[in-house]
Amino acid sequence: MSDNELYSLAEKLFAEHSRWQDVCDAEVTGWAENLWKALQQTGFSDVPVPEELGGAGGSVADAVQLLRAAGAHAAPVPLAEAGLVGGWLLASAGLALPKGVRTALPPAATLRLDGDRLFGTAPAVAWGHRAEYVVGLADGVVVLAPGPAAQSGGPTFSRGANLADEPRDTVIFDGVPVTARAAAPDEVTEQSFWERTALGRAALMAGAVSAVAAMTLRYSREREQFGRPIGRFQAVQAHLVTIHQQATVVASAIDGAAAAVELGRGGFEVACAKMLADRAAQLVTAAAHQTHGAIGMTKEYPLHYLTRRLWAWRDEAGAHHRWADRLGAALVAHGPDALYPAIQCGSEVVQ
Amino acid sequence: MVTSPTALTAQELELREQVRTFLVETLPWGTFEPGLGMGAAVNPLFSAALAEHGWVGMAVPARYGGRDATAVDRFVVVEELLRWGAPVGHHWVADRQIAPVLLRYGTEEQKRWLLPRICRGELCFCIGMSEPDAGSDLASVRTRGVRDGDGWRVSGVKVWTSNAMRADFMIALCRTGEGARHVGLSRFLIDMRSPGVTVKPIPYLNGSTDHFAEVVLDGVLVSDEMVIGEIGQGWTQNANELAFERSGPDRWISTFLLVQEFMREWPDLAASPAGSRLIGELAAQYWVLRRLSLAVARAIDAGGTPAAEAALIKEMGTRFEQDVVSALRELLDRELVCGLEPADTPSLFERLLGRAVLDSPSFTIRGGTNEVLRTVAVKGLS
Repeated sequence: MSDNELYSLAEKLFAEHSRWQDVCDAEVTGWAENLWKALQQTGFSDVPVPEELGGAGGSVADAVQLLRAAGAHAAPVPLAEAGLVGGWLLASAGLALPKGVRTALPPAATLRLDGDRLFGTAPAVAWGHRAEYVVGLADGVVVLAPGPAAQSGGPTFSRGANLADEPRDTVIFDGVPVTARAAAPDEVTEQSFWERTALGRAALMAGAVSAVAAMTLRYSREREQFGRPIGRFQAVQAHLVTIHQQATVVASAIDGAAAAVELGRGGFEVACAKMLADRAAQLVTAAAHQTHGAIGMTKEYPLHYLTRRLWAWRDEAGAHHRWADRLGAALVAHGPDALYPAIQCGSEVVQ
Repeated sequence: MVTSPTALTAQELELREQVRTFLVETLPWGTFEPGLGMGAAVNPLFSAALAEHGWVGMAVPARYGGRDATAVDRFVVVEELLRWGAPVGHHWVADRQIAPVLLRYGTEEQKRWLLPRICRGELCFCIGMSEPDAGSDLASVRTRGVRDGDGWRVSGVKVWTSNAMRADFMIALCRTGEGARHVGLSRFLIDMRSPGVTVKPIPYLNGSTDHFAEVVLDGVLVSDEMVIGEIGQGWTQNANELAFERSGPDRWISTFLLVQEFMREWPDLAASPAGSRLIGELAAQYWVLRRLSLAVARAIDAGGTPAAEAALIKEMGTRFEQDVVSALRELLDRELVCGLEPADTPSLFERLLGRAVLDSPSFTIRGGTNEVLRTVAVKGLS
């Protein structure tokens, strides 16, 4: 299946199960059961985990296409955490996927293993309170543990949410017995964990940005003021151009980052992709709201489902400066004559 | 929307190595004054040496003296030249614009006559578009071609024409018929040595008389053999070639050397938190602009004319070129005092910065202002 076909299939699924009303409901209840079931039935939640480990197969690029579609529909489920990030962690250590709702503990979590017992705090866990299982990295060991929604023996938690009312819960482990554990292979480091997490966010953001672009273009052609569609005014056209430029930028960036991560590297490309997505979030949300005017500030009009997520996601998985500082320091360390080769060859030159 | 290029092939990477080797050998760093992108120095000898390797007009078919190369091959070569600040001024317009135009619209005679000379790096072209009353509103050009025997008498005034003082030919947009604004326009090749052609320098804002010129065309006789394509089709032709002109590395790379030389001359500041943060941010922008630009070249090779994408890229690429200058200035935050002669300013970075500050407003004007590009780009959105 080509990436385009996969994207179309996913797009269809989200259009059916992640309508704006579904997103609205999930922001109140903290969950979207029908959507999650549909993702499990199609196996989309289990991409890119190999089939022999209970996954649905697929590449990093496939997972990124699914996330792009999810982002375009503001899908209120931990898809990135289940597949691209958590699924990858488990599979890398040879652990099979558990049945049930799972999420990933973010790389910022401070976890410690004592024998088979897990200690520590994981902040801002995506849909943590709904997770029957959580996946994390503790001192170089991939850990599968019961989540707050496990039938028994799970960790304690407190609810939190990001600006888009997506659950971001604090999960506290005080000696929770783990379900499974295995040493992480060499390529799974704190850094590569951060990179996967950031790639997942950037892919969601690419989807959201492209959906904002389509919504804003449509509105600019429908809404009339001064006797003509507002999209005929040059001042508004400038906003439309900004939005579409940024949609193009982020789409290209996540493709490049996915391709590099697929090859087992991607330090350069993921840093670029997250930085570019963060910048796009700023430019695109501002231009889209300005084009929409007051209606865009209402709950009724769906622009906010996308823009609030962009405002939240840009700060997640390492915000702009984290990635800029890290990449910049690496480039400076390589010196001026490696700068252009790095721009051309990315993580082949600078990780 | 074209967004992601496939990776460079082994052959394309090999070509890049060849160009790098050529530059290191013929133009060692530190032995010449690097330029800012396409505004770099004019050096016919360098153009000839480059052409000897087949790297001028390289996308031209071999039967006209070219190498049958692809748009991506040209991208690979041009990228290396520009990021080295190489003196590409003599052949730049011929290579980027005239060769594709002749291939697409030229007669067999025109191709046989001009393309081999372009591919040898001999010819320098200028572009006769703007007039005193026709800048962004190009359809209102008043330079007229009137039928005269077997040819055309062309009269009018072209202004702000780069390199007119040294060009062999001008490609000139002229009105040859009445009717709606966008019809009745035609393009002529004008031999700059023809009787009736007068070139007067227009001093650039830094006082240079080596850049802009006014070209007065006073009853210049142009034969039918010098018409490009069909009479009356000038506007359509012009629009179609913009994908080539607008999306190349020259639209985002012009100030790259400032970043590189800043890192060399201000290593401590570059390594500071603010410095490395900026370098990380700039690298991300270069990386993605390059990807988009390369994607357009790939699309052209696949037979597409991604004109809307090209307009989006140029609009943001040229703004980025300016942003680089501002960001470095802000980081540096010190008085810039230049010597009277280049040799009196020993810092290459400072020389480049001074030139960039003065020249960068032109980045978002030349080849179509950003305001016009936005209206072009919007029409292609879906």
